[in-house]
Amino acid sequence: MGALLLPILIPLIAGILSLLITKRFRILSEVVVLWATFFNLVIAVLLFKNNLTVSLPMTHWGLTFSLRLYHFSGFIMLAVAGFAALIALYSVVFMKGKDHLNQFYGYFLITLALTNGAVLANNLIVMLFFWEGLLLVLFGMIAIGNKMAYKTATKAFIIVGVTDLCMMLGIALTGHLAGTLTMSKIHLPLIGLGNLAFILLMIGAISKAGAMPFHSWIPDAAVDAPLPFMALVPAAFEKLLGIYFLARISLDLFNLIPGSWVSIVLMTIGAITIILAVMMALIQKDYKRLLSYHAISQVGYMILGIGTALPVGIVGGLFHMINHALYKSGLFLTGGSVEKQTGTTNLEKLGGIGTKMPVTFACFLITACAISGVPPLNGFFSKELIYDGALERGWIFYAAAILGSFLTAASFLKLGHSAFLGKLHESNKNTQEAPIPMLIPMIIIASLCILFGVFNYLPLNNFIQPILGTARLHGHNFAGFPTNPFLVLMTAVVIVAAILNHFWGVKSKGSAIKAVDHIHYAPILSTIYEKAEKRFFDPYDIGMQVAQRIAEAAFWCDRKIDWFYEVLTVKITFAFTHSIKKAHDGSYSTYLAWSLVGGLLVVLFLMFSV
Amino acid sequence: MEYSCTLLNAIFVPIIGAFILPLAGRVSAVIRNTIAFGLIAASLIFSLKMLPAVSAGQTLVINKQFAFGLNFVLVADPLAVFMASISSFLSTIILFYSFGYISHYENQNEYYFMVVLFLGAMMGLIFSANLVLLYIFWEITAITSWRLIGFFREKNHVLRADKAFLLTAFGAITMLIGFVSLYQQAGSFDLSAIKASAQIHPIANFAVMLILFGILSKSATLPFHTWLPDAGVAPSPVTALLHAAILVKIGVYVFARIFVATVTPAQFWQTAVPVIAAVSAIVSAGAALMETDLKRLIAYSTVSQIGFIFFGLSVGNSLAIAGGLLYILMHGIAKAGLFLCAGIIEQNTKTKDITKLGGLINTMPVTAISFLLCAFSVMGIPPFGGFFSKYMVFAGAIGAQKYWISLVFLIGAFMTILYLFRAFNLIFLGEAKMTHAKEGSLSMVTSVAILGALSLLSGLTVYYPSKFVEMTVSHMLGVKF
Repeated sequence: MGALLLPILIPLIAGILSLLITKRFRILSEVVVLWATFFNLVIAVLLFKNNLTVSLPMTHWGLTFSLRLYHFSGFIMLAVAGFAALIALYSVVFMKGKDHLNQFYGYFLITLALTNGAVLANNLIVMLFFWEGLLLVLFGMIAIGNKMAYKTATKAFIIVGVTDLCMMLGIALTGHLAGTLTMSKIHLPLIGLGNLAFILLMIGAISKAGAMPFHSWIPDAAVDAPLPFMALVPAAFEKLLGIYFLARISLDLFNLIPGSWVSIVLMTIGAITIILAVMMALIQKDYKRLLSYHAISQVGYMILGIGTALPVGIVGGLFHMINHALYKSGLFLTGGSVEKQTGTTNLEKLGGIGTKMPVTFACFLITACAISGVPPLNGFFSKELIYDGALERGWIFYAAAILGSFLTAASFLKLGHSAFLGKLHESNKNTQEAPIPMLIPMIIIASLCILFGVFNYLPLNNFIQPILGTARLHGHNFAGFPTNPFLVLMTAVVIVAAILNHFWGVKSKGSAIKAVDHIHYAPILSTIYEKAEKRFFDPYDIGMQVAQRIAEAAFWCDRKIDWFYEVLTVKITFAFTHSIKKAHDGSYSTYLAWSLVGGLLVVLFLMFSV
Repeated sequence: MEYSCTLLNAIFVPIIGAFILPLAGRVSAVIRNTIAFGLIAASLIFSLKMLPAVSAGQTLVINKQFAFGLNFVLVADPLAVFMASISSFLSTIILFYSFGYISHYENQNEYYFMVVLFLGAMMGLIFSANLVLLYIFWEITAITSWRLIGFFREKNHVLRADKAFLLTAFGAITMLIGFVSLYQQAGSFDLSAIKASAQIHPIANFAVMLILFGILSKSATLPFHTWLPDAGVAPSPVTALLHAAILVKIGVYVFARIFVATVTPAQFWQTAVPVIAAVSAIVSAGAALMETDLKRLIAYSTVSQIGFIFFGLSVGNSLAIAGGLLYILMHGIAKAGLFLCAGIIEQNTKTKDITKLGGLINTMPVTAISFLLCAFSVMGIPPFGGFFSKYMVFAGAIGAQKYWISLVFLIGAFMTILYLFRAFNLIFLGEAKMTHAKEGSLSMVTSVAILGALSLLSGLTVYYPSKFVEMTVSHMLGVKF
């Protein structure tokens, strides 16, 4: 059982150690983070393909500290460990000279520990314990960014915290319905309260993954938080964790079937997330902010895929999860090296650096093609599977997905063209290639994007398809080239259309950064965009306004209750005493009259009671 | 009977000892402070000494008979010892904090006298198993808290103290009528006799209602809560004592003692009390979101959290009751920490208006971190203690099939996150609006750091309190797990 605690304890202890290291020995915290992530990777590799369980009962009411390593959790842990090791290497160079280094590495490692814990947990409360504990490090990691980052950190904390509370209620409900909190023993039908429980758990899962409407902290964090955080958490860890749990509840805890209304809810959320987020990504003029909107949009594909409840869609969704984690963290890392070498991520101040930073550019090109679904890269294959599932469930979902792909390709053409190609921007004259330790993680990730595409049977047969198991796959094997020629043709059409659209845009507006202005400033759309840019539609702001209204109403109630004690009671008391006082005016005749009346009443009472 | 001496000491050492303090204060302030600390610490030690015995399943009873069914009964069962340990422990820390805080003010003799007497009365109330005895201690706490709220003697403060006294005393008198109606039914004020009789005849709803008036007014639940934010004018350690450690927990404790451990009120109350608690939790959470006075804000937060405790205790599910009890512990630690932090801020910046504060994390790092740790616990974020209690309350309520009320409480939990973060950001982050603010004195900072650390530790080592609570619930309900 000790082996299972290692992936939690090693990073946790290393993280606490790093937090305790003072500024003078900051080099130590770099050593700590490198060794801890390396050890963690070794352990994850050794543990993968093993089946282990730990179980320590704690209370009578089902709180059992239990962990379970099996194929799915082992795979997620392996992926998490891989990203942690690569990004740790990257950060050591990137973060050099930045403030709060020990905190950054400390939170980094604690995030790793908690993520491992959440993945391994086999008891819903234990899972929630690790899962919600991530909130703290999330807050810390964003808050150590720039000066106003604490506002974004608060926003992230509140959004994720609120959805985690929904999940807490969902877990309570699931435990009540199933009679146990042990995840491997829960198999509930989606009927009645089961639906409510599923929705509550789903809110937690998709919020962690960053889907709409729980997304709005991510673009803000892209600007405020340290960049490796973006590559590590919103791009990789949170997607892996959120989609892992979504898959767990859809496949194991509940039995999501095609045609159930929750399946349609999931697909709708997925489709809306794809479209709206990519629309926002399209018009961004900042490298990191643009990527962050794609981090939201891409999660829509995974949710759509899993929401189809068809084997092809689920395999596609899970494959997309790992693919996205690869190319999105790769893209963020290229963004980081651009930021490090040029000092900016504002696209208007970039241009033509492709020749100055050829390796970064090549990595960008591969990962950008992967996210745009260009064959034979990994993104192409997972998207095809999702399209297949979506089309089977309804053309509208497919249409949303394919439109999303068009806009994704268009926005990456814009990004790549305006940052790496075109005329060299004056301020970038002396730009050089990023240092080697930063390039290594990017190269590894880009190579994996190619590997997972060209030899897609490797990840599909070893990692993804065993998650569903042979029974659920009905003998299908989704490795190899897509079988539906219509879908492949459509994808090709869309990519060509995106390229044509781009060059037409560049030609008509005269600059790469304005390549999509004809969409941005189209009638109707331009007003919507204008409002969106002013955060008119930010669900967080709307939620805050609702909370404010509730608070005002509550405060009004409270003041009215206080008025009852402070004013009304006092008035009544005074009125009462005042009238009594009048009866005691000191006049002999008044007192005599009172006595007579009193005596009369006594006589009357005696007469009638006898 | 070897523990009976311990039990009596836990109550009467502080009560009798309190009267020495003004005399000691005439000799030397240091001696007085040391004795005061010793008295409360003794009470804590005596309470803790009973823990092993009750954990082993023993219940200690002291019984002296008088006429008219009045008897002097003290019972140390798991529930009482649990509560006594929490109250005396928090009081110890608060008293330690007071050394730094109150040294700036006059009338210190009175202060220490009242605080120690207050705790003694609380201990008496906890161990009383006779309703008249309980009522006497109840009113002693009311009188001492009246003086402590108006401690600074400003006219406005005294009025607020009067308000608190009048509201709680009104509740106490209606509660006494309720007690009398229980007496008529059972022929005794002894809780064990009432328990025996209630198993034959369920108690009248009228009596339940009257007793609830007393409980709700003491625990500051809607619609009897407005005295609590007003009581924020008291010295900060006193507000911590009132809001976190002692006063508001009295109502909750008596609820557990009478309506969970002794009699089972009609089914109707398992919905009525949660509804009252839910309204209370939401309204006060909303008020906390609007409030700009730090101490009033935390006071509203207390009202809101007390709603969660009542929710847990009242739905009639063993898990929810366990959650409610655990909540008393976790909330006590965290809320005491928040109030003591507020005291440091108030004393060093001379303002309680959070809109006038900002950026204090740079000058008061320990206070800031302690505040944040305690706030996380109140929000119910793991690995802090508040997470487990909040989860258990929700899970128990779901188990009792209170789905809708749980959803309402979920909104209350959302708003908890909002108002605590709003307060933290306005006070500690952002632009520093005052540069002269400095960290509090050593005893004050140590106290809040201990409470902040405990908020975290109580979550990491939740196994031990939850085991004890499990045993307590099993004893209260008379069922074996």
